[in-house]
Amino acid sequence: MEDQEILAKFDDPAARNVAFNQLVRKYQQKVYWHVRKMVIDHDDADDLTQDVFVKVWNNLANFRRDASLYTWIYRIATNECLSFLSSKRRRFFLPLNDVGAELTTKLEADPSMAGDEIERRLQKAILRLPDKQRLVFNMKYYDDITYEQMAEITGTSVGALKASYHHAVKKIEQYVTEDSVRN
Amino acid sequence: MNTPFRLDDHKRRAQPLAPPPDRYFEQLPARVMARAQPADAGGLASTWGWLQQLSAPVRSALASAVVLGGFAASFWLTQSAPVATSGPATVLAAVPQAEMVQYLLASDQRVTLTDLAELAPAPSGMPETYLQASPDELQDALDSQPSDEAYY
Repeated sequence: MEDQEILAKFDDPAARNVAFNQLVRKYQQKVYWHVRKMVIDHDDADDLTQDVFVKVWNNLANFRRDASLYTWIYRIATNECLSFLSSKRRRFFLPLNDVGAELTTKLEADPSMAGDEIERRLQKAILRLPDKQRLVFNMKYYDDITYEQMAEITGTSVGALKASYHHAVKKIEQYVTEDSVRN
Repeated sequence: MNTPFRLDDHKRRAQPLAPPPDRYFEQLPARVMARAQPADAGGLASTWGWLQQLSAPVRSALASAVVLGGFAASFWLTQSAPVATSGPATVLAAVPQAEMVQYLLASDQRVTLTDLAELAPAPSGMPETYLQASPDELQDALDSQPSDEAYY
């Protein structure tokens, strides 16, 4: 179902719940995986995904219909992820590297990493990136989001996003190469 | 020496992490709806739902009327409240008796003859209502009282 149909339905109080249910079904996997790649842990991703859709429900009536629903939901999800990671650091007074180490520990426990050493090194390298750069990398590399859409989501210029992605790729390649030499 | 890692040469996984539990995405919409619409929200919405049916100007007018009504009611209640609570008699009554006696004894103020003269005279027939004695008996009782004072 098209976004415009969902939004038109949502405006009708009698069909609002049905419309929102369709919206969740349409975007839940994209939101979940976007969040999951940032926080690694399924339970955290589950909580945050629900938070994202509750915010969508509370604010959809005020959503500007000329904007893209897809990028609007992604922006909410992105902000939730960054707030979550930031509050985690504040709560435990952790520096950047310690949260990365915690996420790496969770990654090591992920069963999908077993038996694929290169993939495991790649994921560890991605976790070493700063949060915002990791978001940019994930959106471009895994979700195939265009730079223009990413600019809408993050409120950053296309040029800055391209540079950020380019640097992220270089860092990852360097880390995986060095990690392979060490082991 | 190891070959440098090139991201473009690496086969990209669509989802690099382990999938969520079975049926997770089937149950998620219901869980989200449960959080977005708590159980009591329905009752609240039905109680106050009629407000949403009103247009914005009518809602504003209604809110103004409620606020003004609140002010009027509080003003009316303030005016009709009893004021006796702050009178001098009430304040005096609140002073403990022991303190009052202490004050009077310590004070130079005494009851003067003028004060006594200004007292309202008792009705002449009053003693007959509670004294069961004849005038002669009363006179005898008074004469028998010792008198230490002499008046000139």
